[in-house]
Amino acid sequence: MNYNDRMHFVGRLGIGITLVLLFMVPVVYGLYLGAMPTLGQFLAALFAVAIIFVPIGIAETLSFTPILGNASYITFITGNIMNLKLPIAQNAQVLMETDKGSEESDAITTLAISVSAIVTVLMMSLGVLLLEPLRPIMTSSAVQTASEYVLPALFGALVIGLLKGTGQVVVKGKMKAGLMPFIVILIVNLFIINTSPVSGLLLLVVIPITILTAKKLYSKGHITIEIKEKDTQS
Amino acid sequence: MSFQEALYHPLLYTLVGMVILWVLGLSIWFAQSSYRYALKLGFTKTQLKKVITSSAITSIVPSLAVMLGLFALAGVLGNAWPWLRLSVIGSVTYELLAAELTATSMGVGFSELSSIGLSGLINVMFVMTTGIASGLVILMLFGKKIQTRVRLAAAKTHSFGTVALECFMVALVVTFLPAFWTLSWVHFLVFLTSITITISLGLLMQRFKLKWLKDFILAFALLGGMASSLLWHTILEVLR
Repeated sequence: MNYNDRMHFVGRLGIGITLVLLFMVPVVYGLYLGAMPTLGQFLAALFAVAIIFVPIGIAETLSFTPILGNASYITFITGNIMNLKLPIAQNAQVLMETDKGSEESDAITTLAISVSAIVTVLMMSLGVLLLEPLRPIMTSSAVQTASEYVLPALFGALVIGLLKGTGQVVVKGKMKAGLMPFIVILIVNLFIINTSPVSGLLLLVVIPITILTAKKLYSKGHITIEIKEKDTQS
Repeated sequence: MSFQEALYHPLLYTLVGMVILWVLGLSIWFAQSSYRYALKLGFTKTQLKKVITSSAITSIVPSLAVMLGLFALAGVLGNAWPWLRLSVIGSVTYELLAAELTATSMGVGFSELSSIGLSGLINVMFVMTTGIASGLVILMLFGKKIQTRVRLAAAKTHSFGTVALECFMVALVVTFLPAFWTLSWVHFLVFLTSITITISLGLLMQRFKLKWLKDFILAFALLGGMASSLLWHTILEVLR
């Protein structure tokens, strides 16, 4: 079995086992406590959550899988995608200057995200162990205020790399494809409603619009592909 | 058994610990396999060490923000359940909202969850798990198909496929940036601070040939950007 097939096989099996284990927790604990909810209670509560999160979950999977490649499996299993895994992936691709969708990019992204997942799981475990001693620091107003701004700080750090591209293949003028949706979303956010809670869903609309616009601009020569020489010193 | 006792029962910790150990093992497997494959592809051990170090360091600060979610949930749902939900599939924003929505749909406020009894607690666990599982199911079913198409597109360097791949990143930027920028002035200023730090450190790195700095730019910009929020808050307060 080659690397790709092995990744897909373990990834799919990993998802299956993770889902079984996740549902095992309430099943086993509910049976132990003799406190299983009825199907009616479950469905009534699920409706409010599912109506929001099922479409977002599907949209995020379809939008991020092409960016993350084989790393998608471990990314989605360990979660915290926008606020952690996606920036880590982009950072690693910039560091190694890999081309999107290439085998090199895939291997580097998977390595970076797996390391990030290990760090997060260990830190969360440490957080549980040290919950009481850490409480004064973690609940201080400075830490709470600063933690509200993880996403703008991350995006500020990454946007140059996102726009420049990472590898030897450079797509010139690609931002023109995103100009129209950008203006529309900016206006909606300025004057109507903040789209943060539905950004995942919005992506499902923005991606095809951007690709279709890019296709038109590419055919007219407004978007071009250039190959840059690899910097051998980095 | 009371609601509070149920939240801190050793059996719950054991069950949660088992899932987390499995996910940790899986992450290690993915890390090892991709490391070996990257070596085969021609990356050097030094290069891979860079990737590992930078990814680990950069993960620390956002993980602290996830830990804050743990603190927020722990007050009502104990330690074990939030530990699981924030380590596997979940995200801070999802879990906090899902817990609140579940509580509301059961007729109580989030802080009053303890009044719903043990079957209510188990229901919360079921609902929070089911609500987030959709993405994983889609990935399990269609992940390979999506990635095969991406590979084919990327293989043709001078084709529209290459442009289409870049469009995913462009779409990501144009969807998320306006939403952050317009949340508040502080959000916008934090973004500007972070981008300024990134550019300044990049220039510094080039000017003084500080190659090592490249591995830490993201971590410094992230930390600097977040820390600047305190300054911007103070300045905006004074200006008001």
